[in-house]
Amino acid sequence: MTAQRSLQIISETFNNSRKEILRGSAKFFMLWGVLLTVISLVIYLLWHHTGKPDWNLLWFAMPVIGYPLAALIGKHNKAIPQNEVSKMLGNVWTVFGAFALTLSSIAVFLIPMHVTLIIVIIMGLAECMSGVLLKNWPIIIGGFLLGVGGAVFAMLVKGEAQLLIFTLGGVLLLVTGFIMKLQYK
Amino acid sequence: MFPKLDPILHSELRLAVMSILAGVDEADFTYLKKQAGATSGNLSVQIDKLTAAGYIAVEKGFKGKMPRTTCKITTAGQEAFNKYVDALKEYLQASK
Repeated sequence: MTAQRSLQIISETFNNSRKEILRGSAKFFMLWGVLLTVISLVIYLLWHHTGKPDWNLLWFAMPVIGYPLAALIGKHNKAIPQNEVSKMLGNVWTVFGAFALTLSSIAVFLIPMHVTLIIVIIMGLAECMSGVLLKNWPIIIGGFLLGVGGAVFAMLVKGEAQLLIFTLGGVLLLVTGFIMKLQYK
Repeated sequence: MFPKLDPILHSELRLAVMSILAGVDEADFTYLKKQAGATSGNLSVQIDKLTAAGYIAVEKGFKGKMPRTTCKITTAGQEAFNKYVDALKEYLQASK
C-alpha cells in the first residue's frame, strides 16, 4: 500500500463517517423546526380567533411532544456515533431549551417579562452558533437575522402577530436540517 | 532516514477502522462494518488485531435483546495513528 493510498483511505473514511453523523443530526433540526412551526401557527390562530392570549400555555406542549420524539429518533440513530461537532450542536440546543423553558415558566408563573424578545434573541444565537460549528454561512446569517430581526420585530409588533417570528424560526430550523442533509450527502 | 510505518496500521481495513474511530467517541460493530465496507468475518479479525495491539478497546453488551459490540480508540491508538499520519506526510514530502 502506497503513502498516497493510505492518506486516501484516512481522508475518505473520516469524511464519510463525519457526513453520516451530521446527516443524523439534521433529523433533530427538522423535528424541532416542524414542531415550532406548527405550534406557533396553532397558538397564533387560536389567539387570533378567540382574542385570548392564554393559548400561549400551549408552548409547554412543545417539550412534552418534542423530547419523546427526539428520544425516539435518538434510539433509531443509536448505531450512529457522536463526534465533536454533533455533541456541540446537541449541547448548544440543550442549553437553549433549558433557558427557554425556565424563562417562559418564570414569565408565566412569577415575574412577567418580554418572553418573545428574550427567546428570539437566544434562539438566533443558538442558530448562529450551529452555523459556526457547521462552518456554514447561510445558517450563520440566518441565525443572526432571526436574532436581531426578531428582536426588532418583537419590540415593534404587539399581540399574536409576534408569534409569527417563531413560525419563521421554525422554518429556519427546518431549512437548516435540509441544508445539512444536502451539505453532508 | 524515514520513520518505519506501523505494520499494525499499514493495512487498508485496520487503517479505515482507526480513521473512523479517531473522529468519534465510540462506534459499534455494524457502523464500522458499513463505513469500512467490510465483511463481518474480516472486520472481526482486524478488530482483534487492533485490540491485541492496545490500539482500540472493545466492549460487548446488549442493545435491547441484540448483542452489541462497541469499539473505542485508546490513547495509545490515537498516538500511534498520529505518528502514522506524520510518517506518511514525511514520505509524501520526500517524494515531491
